[in-house]
Amino acid sequence: MALVELRKVCKSFRKGDETITPLDHVDLDIEAGEFVSLMGPSGTGKSTLLNLVSGIDRPDSGTIIVDGIEVTKLSRSKLADWRAANLGYIFQSHNLIPVLTAYENVELPTLLLKLSSRQRQQRVDLALEAVGLSDRAEHYPRQLSGGQEQRVGIARAIVAHPKVVVADEPTGSLDLETGDQVQVLLQRLNQELNITMLMVTHDNDVASIASRQLVLDRGKFLEKARS
Amino acid sequence: MISYILKTLWRHRTRTLLTVTGAAVAMFVFCFVGSVQEGLNHLTTGSDAERSLIVFQENRFCPTTSRLPEDYADKIQEVAGVREVMPIQVWTNNCRASLDIVVFNGAAPEQIQKTRPIKLTSGTWQQFTSQRDAAIVGRNVAQRRGLKSGDQFSIGDISVKVAGIFESTVPSEENLIYTSLVFLQYTRGLDAAGLVTQHEVLLTQDADPDRVANEIDATLRAGSVATKTRRKGAFQSNTLSDLVDLIGFAHWLGYACVGLVLSLVATTTVMSVQDRIKEYAVLQTIGVRPMRAMRMVLTESTTLCLIGGLAGTLFALTTLGVGGFAIGAEGATIAFRPSLGLAISGTIVSLIVGLAAGLAPAIQAATVPIVHSLRQA
Repeated sequence: MALVELRKVCKSFRKGDETITPLDHVDLDIEAGEFVSLMGPSGTGKSTLLNLVSGIDRPDSGTIIVDGIEVTKLSRSKLADWRAANLGYIFQSHNLIPVLTAYENVELPTLLLKLSSRQRQQRVDLALEAVGLSDRAEHYPRQLSGGQEQRVGIARAIVAHPKVVVADEPTGSLDLETGDQVQVLLQRLNQELNITMLMVTHDNDVASIASRQLVLDRGKFLEKARS
Repeated sequence: MISYILKTLWRHRTRTLLTVTGAAVAMFVFCFVGSVQEGLNHLTTGSDAERSLIVFQENRFCPTTSRLPEDYADKIQEVAGVREVMPIQVWTNNCRASLDIVVFNGAAPEQIQKTRPIKLTSGTWQQFTSQRDAAIVGRNVAQRRGLKSGDQFSIGDISVKVAGIFESTVPSEENLIYTSLVFLQYTRGLDAAGLVTQHEVLLTQDADPDRVANEIDATLRAGSVATKTRRKGAFQSNTLSDLVDLIGFAHWLGYACVGLVLSLVATTTVMSVQDRIKEYAVLQTIGVRPMRAMRMVLTESTTLCLIGGLAGTLFALTTLGVGGFAIGAEGATIAFRPSLGLAISGTIVSLIVGLAAGLAPAIQAATVPIVHSLRQA
């Protein structure tokens, strides 16, 4: 049984008088420990799919099951609890909380779990160490470079030991060199910590770090052979 | 999460400071108006106001125009239900409404000591009774005029030696200066030998105040001066009727202050939430429950309101405590005193207003459309 299962998922939007259906009866299985990249032209529904898997958006029809839980049936509050325990989200624009230090930003998801302060501290230290930012723990986002901010964002996504991490264009706002560093980091986290990842990207090079590359076109998946 | 809320408030410290200051000023006014209301309530209710009567000259209002024979006391004493009669000569520096009214009550010193709910905080009764021009001064007047035991205090044609300062369980008492009756009767300009302004009548426990009042007026109808007898609370309320109307109107000012705090804190919180709508979307993506997001906003608005409200309330209570403020007219005064009731109502109002002000933005933060908000620049 796959860790993430999408069955006949449909999602439409109204744009003026027009109805756009980026996802039309989509099926997808992602196995535990897999690193899946999702590519496709703009507007094909890549980010929409990511949002559906992460439970911050709801499909019009179909089911999404993650680790045996049908997330499409959960209430808004239950979904929030589920995300806190099972999902890490890496944003394109980092989205760190500006008034909190790197340490506090990473600590945020752990405050939503039943952990002792010692366990919390251990997890935050480990996450910061994993992204190589232990020495920047007390820095505020404004004191960090774009790449460092994204690494804090990655640490925040993995600190709660989620079952799935989704990443929406994680290198999209970074320069080439910093983007490469983030790619290496994501690959390392997938391989060393066995984190299941679903990543949306426009960039072929970034997509190539994934173990499985999918292209979403006109509401259907095309599997791309690894280069 | 508390750290996040406090840091958020600190991040916008100018906005926070302005809101807290606004809330503090409004709650200061609210407490001040509240103290005036309380002062009026103390004056017109309670055992002193309900269980004692004032016999005054009929159709007269200002103390200087009421001139009753002192020996009316003997006739009043004979009316059933009367426990004690205290003839009082009143002198005031201003018959009109004033914030710095000085009211002298001249009465027999032993009766003052026996019947008035007062306690000397400095000086002695012996000093008061042994010297003809001695006076004991209410705490409020002493604070306002900077008087202490041993001082000489002069106003108009009256000059007294301060023999003591007293406090009272009846706040309006603390705006009075007591002298001996004889001293005040013979004060230059009063020319009141054998006359008094009013008789204060203390009732027995089972006496019906209205019946006794009617009986007193009926008994004295045959005398040289007709009288009008009322309960002390009603008498004072009637004497201060113009002020009572104004104070009644002023309580709307208190409500307006509450409304001001509400709109001020609500505006700040709405702005704060709208500025950070993406942050709330991020928090919910991380796993913060909608109800928790709601609580965070409510905590923020309540914190702002409580800090401002408590500061304003504390400042108002301190000012009332050290200022000894009072307003009076025609010899009756309303004292503005700090009280536990004011502190509690100031705190509760701040808390409720804080919650009410945060409600709409809290709902907005809790129901934020996550995907749409994450796309905001």
